[in-house]
Amino acid sequence: MIEVKHITKTYGKKQNAFIALDDTTFTIPDGASVAILGKSGSGKSTLMHAMSGLDRPETGEVVIGGQNILKLKTKQIDEFRSQQMSFIFQSFFVQANESCYDNVSLPLEIANIPISKRRQKINDALTAVELLDKKASRARDLSGGQKQRLAVARAIVNDPRILFADEPTGNLDSVTGEVIEDLLFGYNKSRGVTLIIVTHDSDLAQKCDIQIHIKDGKVEKIESRKELHS
Amino acid sequence: MKIRDTVRRAGRSLRQAKARTLLTSLAISVGAFTVTLALAAGAGGQAYTDSLITNNGDAQSLSVHIKEDDEVSDKPKEYGTTSDAARQGQLDDTDIEKIKKIDGVAEITPTYSISIAYMTRGGDAKKYDASIGIKVDRTAIPLAAGSLMDNQVPVGGVVIPEAYLGVLGFKNAFDAIGQSLTLHIEKPSDIVGRKSSEAIDKTYTIAAVDKESSTVLRYQAELKVSTNDGKMIYEYQTADQPENGQYNGLNVRVTDGADVAAVQEAIIKSGGYEVSSLKDIQEVLFQFINVVQYGAAGFGLLAILASVFGIINTQYISVLERTQQIGLMKALGARRKDIGRLFRYEAGWVGFLGGTIGTGLALLAGLLNPWITQTLVLEKGTELLKFNPLTSVILIASLIVIAIMAGYFPARKAAKLDPIEALRTE
Repeated sequence: MIEVKHITKTYGKKQNAFIALDDTTFTIPDGASVAILGKSGSGKSTLMHAMSGLDRPETGEVVIGGQNILKLKTKQIDEFRSQQMSFIFQSFFVQANESCYDNVSLPLEIANIPISKRRQKINDALTAVELLDKKASRARDLSGGQKQRLAVARAIVNDPRILFADEPTGNLDSVTGEVIEDLLFGYNKSRGVTLIIVTHDSDLAQKCDIQIHIKDGKVEKIESRKELHS
Repeated sequence: MKIRDTVRRAGRSLRQAKARTLLTSLAISVGAFTVTLALAAGAGGQAYTDSLITNNGDAQSLSVHIKEDDEVSDKPKEYGTTSDAARQGQLDDTDIEKIKKIDGVAEITPTYSISIAYMTRGGDAKKYDASIGIKVDRTAIPLAAGSLMDNQVPVGGVVIPEAYLGVLGFKNAFDAIGQSLTLHIEKPSDIVGRKSSEAIDKTYTIAAVDKESSTVLRYQAELKVSTNDGKMIYEYQTADQPENGQYNGLNVRVTDGADVAAVQEAIIKSGGYEVSSLKDIQEVLFQFINVVQYGAAGFGLLAILASVFGIINTQYISVLERTQQIGLMKALGARRKDIGRLFRYEAGWVGFLGGTIGTGLALLAGLLNPWITQTLVLEKGTELLKFNPLTSVILIASLIVIAIMAGYFPARKAAKLDPIEALRTE
């Protein structure tokens, strides 16, 4: 369970102060797929950064698995992220000059996984996104959809508990976008991983269990699909 | 992140910017090249000087003379004030006794001056003029044939110069070894111009043939006999002469392991002597080589210093270029330490590359050794550039360390980067 309690984040000072998050509170159950919806500048990205410990709000708590991660030291948050979280970005952020294999290997290296255990994990992840045959190819030679699939492989390789996706289909056409969506939701269902998608695409948001609408840093409304309540 | 993974990733990022990496390393390699060559030339110069020294004298021996008056004046001195005229410039047995008592003195040999009337191979063979000298010290001399135990002429043996081979009827140097040579020794005549009445013939075995060499500074073609034989000839020639027991100089051999300089000091202190050693000359020469070597190495260090700024600059650009990568790594949980290390090791790789290229080029320059030797007309086989693998390894290692230190500031910038800023795409 992820509990976000009264978090406030302000940018700038005094007259120029801009409130990005204003006393935001909500709860996400484990294994849910969640869409954080909002226009650009609504604070949805800031919210994702706060939930992943990349950013530190002035007030409030982010409690994950009973632990307020905002109270952890930087080093501990880094370790927490490397063990339990991962990210998918709109612009993929794959390392163009590196092979697919090395791209996927990065989170494992950061998490200090011994070399002997890496190969299997990387192969599994690449198989899951159907890129095993591109293992040795450089990421720059892939198409946009393949790059995002590679990013998905990189995100799932270390079995995270929480998967953040920031506009994962924003740079893709609808057909390839759908492939990515299927991958993400499939992984969410089969592994019980909490999937948090930051988006302004309401069609994508419709597919999630919970939709959290953000406006001007505040939670406007939360919609849940019926079956979650039952 | 594990160090090994970081080093691998650092190496990989360098390969992605090949031209930039190569140019930055080339800057360092100029320094490495200069330093390596300077050190090699220094080592080679020292080795060459060493061979010069050993071929021209024995570092374990001192040569002792009577101290001349410091002030050489053309003005006449008052009659009767000049010190003991008979002693002027001459040493005798009392001096030998005095010096013998000094610690570290192993052996004293007076400089006997001897001469022969002629040399011949005996029988009806022709007679030839010849110079003769005594080999007192243990200076190594270049030989054309034969060998000398401990660089000394054996008693009853003689070393002949290469130039004498022809007239003595030897086909080559090896032909002469073991053959005998007779020397005709005369007592000096009391009246100038009159032939001496007394003379003896002494026969010696040719032990070796010496030759002229560019490493021997003052080569004299002369017969060389052992100290014992020399002394005997001297005793025979001066037996009833006033100069018996008077010597121009003494050769003092210092005990092996004793401090030559200390013994030299002690002899000077004992009064009235002038002592010179090869160590003096050796030190002056080494000092000269060192100055040249340090000078050249200094320029190399300056080049390395300049290249350090190149590394810093390149690494700053690299950090800017890879902002997103840094952001991604941080989002994935990489610690500041990991990011900093990645960029420092990248700089380290550049240092390694530059050091290896520079050292490699310097080693290639070592191929010019025969050409240098030929141009400077040095002894064949002389290598003026002497490379030491250990020095090269140390140099490359220190360049890696220097480069890593140069990478500190860019690495710190990378480590401090805000991941949210770094991942902003707009």
